[in-house]
Amino acid sequence: MFLTRSEYDRGVNTFSPEGRLFQVEYAMEAIKLGSTTVGIRTPNGVVLAVEKRVHSPLLESSSIEKIMEIDVHLGCAMSGLTADARTMIDHARVTAQNHSFTYDEKIKVESVAQAVCDLALRFGESVHDEEAMMSRPFGVALLIAGIDELGPQLYHTDPSGTSIKYDAKAIGSGSEAAQSELQDKWHKQMTLQEAQILTLRVLKQVMEEKLDQHNVQVAQVTAEKGFEILDETSLKSVIELM
Amino acid sequence: MQHVAVPHAQPQQRQFNPYSENGGTILAIAGANFSVIAGDTRQSEGYSIQTRYAPKVFRLTDKAVLATNGFAADGNMFVKKVRQRLEWYRHAHAKDMPLRAIARLIQTMLYARRFFPYYVYNILGGIEEDGSGAVYSFDPVGSYEREACRAAGAASSLVQPFLDNQIYFKNQTPAPGTTHPAHLPLSHVLSLVIDSFTSATERHIEVGDGLEIYVVLAKGSALQGLDAIQGLSELTTTDDGERMFVIRRNLKRD
Repeated sequence: MFLTRSEYDRGVNTFSPEGRLFQVEYAMEAIKLGSTTVGIRTPNGVVLAVEKRVHSPLLESSSIEKIMEIDVHLGCAMSGLTADARTMIDHARVTAQNHSFTYDEKIKVESVAQAVCDLALRFGESVHDEEAMMSRPFGVALLIAGIDELGPQLYHTDPSGTSIKYDAKAIGSGSEAAQSELQDKWHKQMTLQEAQILTLRVLKQVMEEKLDQHNVQVAQVTAEKGFEILDETSLKSVIELM
Repeated sequence: MQHVAVPHAQPQQRQFNPYSENGGTILAIAGANFSVIAGDTRQSEGYSIQTRYAPKVFRLTDKAVLATNGFAADGNMFVKKVRQRLEWYRHAHAKDMPLRAIARLIQTMLYARRFFPYYVYNILGGIEEDGSGAVYSFDPVGSYEREACRAAGAASSLVQPFLDNQIYFKNQTPAPGTTHPAHLPLSHVLSLVIDSFTSATERHIEVGDGLEIYVVLAKGSALQGLDAIQGLSELTTTDDGERMFVIRRNLKRD
């Protein structure tokens, strides 16, 4: 991949003669270094799970936040440069709030995914002679989970500004192994609990440390309770069921 | 250039008035599974009739109808802007805007002009997502409320009390052991609408010429005698959704 690069990876908006945008491709590489993140859609809701890399015993694991709320019916998990995700999630939250302010209804999951992708492609844009607001592509991919009038849905967005709907998706360093495991084990009529267990099993396979309630985070979006991050006690009980 | 001092110059006042009042009346009534939105078609300014046919009731989507009353130019422009927003929404979210979303949108659009308002009273009628008939009424700066019925415009002070009595049964005591119905049947509602406008035409000089009554029927509901009404034409575009009709009648032209 890198053999053919010759200066075309400098400008963020410059195509290479083969028609590639190297900076965007490098941004996608940043995600492959990120911690593994899994999402599963079921008829009753969507489950998100992330690995938290606790690289020091002095680290307060509860301060690692890789799953965040966008709106009461929307959540999102990230992999890659998680700091970049703050900008994207902030944009998603504002978009969702603006929608309910203007239309008195919950925004659709697809519309939020699209809003995030619109932002993802704004790098290198500048007005007149001013500095561009964003100098480089975001180095983060998101799994956006939510429920709307079309039921539970899971979307994946990446730095190229593409959003794709999935039944089950894994991103991050262990994504290849995790994705093939999901392909084997996912089925249409999964219960929410089966999905919780599957996300943890998949994470367990790709994690180096032993999985426990401190180094993973699980969240779900259901019609009844909306978005919720599982607390350590309920997370522990799911781990025991594995 | 020489300044000539005018002896004993009188104080002068100038003013610009961007608004006029074009008369007419609109009215909407919600049923259990239908909504009726009506307006006369006379447009006047002072004692002059500008036109005998200027529609005040507009179809927005397959299940939403907006009636505007007040300053006609503002009304037409406002409807144009609402329609533009509906099309943008359709492109962004791949669906038609639900009625309650249109109602909220109209509020935000009106309030955005809080200090130079559209001089228009709006009544929105149609079918909600749950299949019930609905009417939303607005003031010019965006206060809104869902109601069973509402009249607005020149003859609203004549029509609204009639509706309060006939729809809400105000000042009527039910016969012992009975209660007033929450919703009236379509044929009854249409009679009330036609009577309201013929009476308003008699008593108000700004009402008359023509009557347009839009009827929106919820998905899968029967015609409820609508086919027997004269002057009816159907506007429905889809086979499996809400049905929309318009009834065009003459009102007295004097």
